[in-house]
This record gives sequence, structure tokens and C-alpha cells, in this order.
Amino acid sequence: MDGESQRILEYLTEVEEAAEDVLTTKQQIVDLDSKRNRNREALNALKHEVSDTEKVKVCFGNMFIKFPKVKTTEMIQKDQEQLDKEINDLRKGLKAKVNHLNEIQGKPELRGYHLSPLSTDEIKAINSVLKR
Amino acid sequence: MATTKVPEVRDITRIERIGAHSHIRGLGLDDALEPRQVSQGLVGQLASRRAAGIILEMIKDGHIAGRAVLIAGQPGTGKTAIAMGIAQSLGPDTPFTALAGSEIFSLEMSKTEALSQAFRKAIGVRIKEETEIIEGEVVEIQIDRPATGTGAKAGKLTLKTTEMETIYDLGNKMIDSLSKEKVQAGDVITIDKATGKISKLGRSFTRARDYDAMGAQTQFVQCPEGELQKRKEVVHTVSLHEIDVINSRTQGFLALFSGDTGEIKSEVREQINAKVCEWREEGKAEIIPGVLFIDEVHVLDIECFSFLNRALESDLSPVVIMATNRGITRIRGTNYTSPHGIPIDLLDRLLIIATSPYTEKETRQILKIRCEEEDVELSEEAHTVLTRIGMETSLRYAIQLISTAGLVCRKRKGTEVQVEDIKRVYSLFLDEARSSQYMKEYQDSFLFNETQTPAMDTS
Repeated sequence: MDGESQRILEYLTEVEEAAEDVLTTKQQIVDLDSKRNRNREALNALKHEVSDTEKVKVCFGNMFIKFPKVKTTEMIQKDQEQLDKEINDLRKGLKAKVNHLNEIQGKPELRGYHLSPLSTDEIKAINSVLKR
Repeated sequence: MATTKVPEVRDITRIERIGAHSHIRGLGLDDALEPRQVSQGLVGQLASRRAAGIILEMIKDGHIAGRAVLIAGQPGTGKTAIAMGIAQSLGPDTPFTALAGSEIFSLEMSKTEALSQAFRKAIGVRIKEETEIIEGEVVEIQIDRPATGTGAKAGKLTLKTTEMETIYDLGNKMIDSLSKEKVQAGDVITIDKATGKISKLGRSFTRARDYDAMGAQTQFVQCPEGELQKRKEVVHTVSLHEIDVINSRTQGFLALFSGDTGEIKSEVREQINAKVCEWREEGKAEIIPGVLFIDEVHVLDIECFSFLNRALESDLSPVVIMATNRGITRIRGTNYTSPHGIPIDLLDRLLIIATSPYTEKETRQILKIRCEEEDVELSEEAHTVLTRIGMETSLRYAIQLISTAGLVCRKRKGTEVQVEDIKRVYSLFLDEARSSQYMKEYQDSFLFNETQTPAMDTS
């Protein structure tokens, strides 16, 4: 009986861990996306409101540093690319994690989960069938 | 694009003969594929149900495709019922096409075209669509129009989810589509990143007030959760026939040939096959072989059978289930006789499931199920009488008496069908045996009687 409850406990821990993992990844994506949006706002503001020669104050940690505009834009853009890549990777990982969670919970695999998507042209061609 | 006359592709009409079998919910098997005596609307026929169950499992696992099954048995022994049971247990994801043998004979379409359309309807293709969308609740929308009325407009849109809030700068195009959709603060919207298409999902709950004057079509939704820029994946299942149809209608996509008959050219089909195989290799599509059910298969003629022979060999072929109630009979279109009216070479490829006549107990059960289905209360004695009628005449006749007796009972304002009601409808409606008896007695007074006027040949 003791061994039995031990096994159940282990199993439940495994499920909980997997579920926790999924939740953390989701939260991470949300945080990164919020950062991405803030960067995008900054880029827009730089483009419209500051002239090219002017220097801008950039906040690093708890310090403001005056920086040339072009350099700042470049820096943020690089950051943006990095963020896009990270979010993409996390999303890919999230799929595998959800799959793993479903598997250990004994749920059936989602239909068409492993398919790679059709290109936009192909979807456009099939659309008349899809939007019935 | 020049306006070319695009021919309408005619679909073969699909008539589900569900009325008599509306009570069937599945095959009535337990997890070990053992049939239960009475379950999911099916009664008895244990051996054939078990056989059907094994085939069903193989279809579900995708182990068999391009095979054919024949359900053979006397009339009224549940052939269509078993096929319906298979259809119900396959679930909505596996395509199931039902077709009565006579449906393929049409003046507008050749027999083989009708058959190929039915074949291709029974094959599903699963594809995935992936879109990047921005989804959020509009907090504020601000549009600056130039005083002159013309020229570039500028604007800002603030969107939020439960987690974050951000400001977007709007270009001319976005402003136009936002005002076209009449987007206001408090609306929940999605913006398709690739096309810039805006769609309104509804109004946010937090903006709902007492005594709001809203149109009936306004929907209230929760403020979206999580990130603003989301990725949406949608899985669709379409049948090969549907893809054929778009490609014989429209230009573009896969270099097309559109003919001027109501039929789909074989070139189009070959191209679609090639494209779908390409998708499958790239991991973009899954092929789901479904089930094609041909009832009354003996009405097909020799040409159809030879077409079936060949179509079953194709790599994109569904599982074909056929049903027939014929014994050794002439194959249509020839002078040869063959078991079930099906050529021996095709018969050789079939798995044959036989159904046997129902016993008295089973007949009683079926009548009870049908009574429930048709909302007719039956007294114990009436049930016994009806079972006897079912055994002596036919099950179908007895089932038909249920609703008619129900009507008679309602007319005399009774709640339960009594033996008298059954007797009354039994005297009103003849069964097949009594009708033939009547013919024999009064054949002289009927027109075109063969014994009387052998010279008159109506065929």
C-alpha cells in the first residue's frame, strides 16, 4: 500500500512539474512580448519625435545616459530581433511541452498537431472551402 | 481577370436514408470489442457486429485503406443498421460518405464520374493554417484629421490585454479600415498581421453598464489574456473532392484545366493528387482515408464494378463498405450470374460480413427501441402481438405499424397502443404476403395482366 501511494505521489509530481513548466513558458512569452511592445513604442517615438542630430537620454538600469539617436535605434532594433527569435523558440518549445503534458496525463494527442502550416498563397486558394 | 464562363460542377446529391435507422448511435461494443446484446440501438447480430468492430478499429488506426467490405444478408437483417453504426462510431473527424447504388445513374454525369466523386468525398485532407494576430481591447483610439479635409491622417491606437498595454501609431490605411469597422474604445479586436485585416470580436465586459442601449447583435466578451501578439493555429479537414471543385472552378493556384461539362477533368484530379502528395511529404498535410458506403450495390452494372476494381488499387482510396440483399443473381449489364450480383474478381477482394435473420426475442427488442424512438407507448399485449406480426411477415412491416398504430391510438384519445389499434392498422394496411395473395385472387381484374394478355410487353 505504501509503495502504491509513493508511486501515485511520484506520478502526480511529474504531472505538476510538467504543468508548471508549461505555465512558466507561457508567462515568459507574455513578458517578452510586453518588452517587445515597449521597444516598438520607443522606436516609433524616436522616428517621429526626435531629429536625427539630437542626442537622446537612454535609461540603463538606474542611470540615464545621453546617446546619439542613430546608435540608440540600432541598439533597440538588435534587441527587437533577439526578442523575436526568443519568442519563436519558446513557442516551439511550448508545443513539445504541452504534448508531453498531454501524454503523461493520458490524454489523446491533438489532431494535426505536428503539421507544418500551409503558405499564405495555398491557404488563400483553399479559403473558399474553409469559410463555409 | 477576363470574365470567362465558369461551368458549375455538379455534386452528386447525397441522401442519407436515416429515417429508419435514426435510433442507431454506434456499434454497441465494449472496450474489448465484444458486442453487447442490446446497446447503442443495435440488437443481436453479434458475430457481424464484432467483425464490423474489428474493421472499425483498423480504419480508426489508419491500418487499412483501399480495402472493401461487403455486408450481405437477407432483407431486414440490419445491414444498413451496421453500416450506420460504423458511421456513428467513426466520429466527426473521419469522412463518411453514404450512397445508394441507384444514385450514380444520372443523365448529367457518367457513372464513373459519380463514383469517382463519391470516392474522393470519402478522403479527407487535414491541413493547418497559421496566422500572427494582434488581439486586444481598445483602450483609446485617437485620429487626427487635417483641417483641409484631405491629406494624410495620423492616429494612435491603445490596445491592452489583461497583462499589458501598448500604443500603436496608425497609418492612413489602418485608419480607414478602423473607421470602416466602426471600432470604438471598449471593443475587443483582432488585427491580422500579414493582411492588416481588422475584425471585431465584441465589446469588453468591463465596459458594460446598466441600461446600456445596444443592438441585439452586440456580443460581450472578456478582455483577452496573455500577450498582445499571438500566433493562431487552426486545423482544417477538407475532402479531396472539395479541392477538386475549387480547382475546376477558379483559375490560378495549380495551373488549371477547366472543361465545359459538369464533370471534373482527370487532369485536374491528377494535379491535385500530386499537390496533396507533395504537401504530405513536406509535412503540411495528413491524409485521412474515410469510408464510402454503397447501399444496394447489386444495382451497379459491370462497368461500375470494373471501375471499382481499379479504383480500389489507387493509393488514395477509402475503405469501401457495400451492402446487398441479393443471392446468386445476374450481374447487371451481362448475362452471367454470380453470388450477390457481384463479379467474382471483385468478390475476391472483399471481406464479407454476413447478417442472419433476427430471433423472436431480438425482434421484440428492436420493436421496443423503435417505439421509444417514435414516441409511441405500447401496452404489453400489443407488443407481443406486434412481435408475432414481425416474425410472421417482416420486421419492416411491423416497424411501419408502430407509427400508424400510434396515430390510431391518438385518434381515439388513448395514451397507450392496445391490441385493437394494432388489429385496426393490420386490417388497413396489407403486408407483402397478403398483398400477393390478393393479387392471385383478383388478378383477372387488373390491367396488363400477364396471364391474360401475353402479347402486351411493357418493358
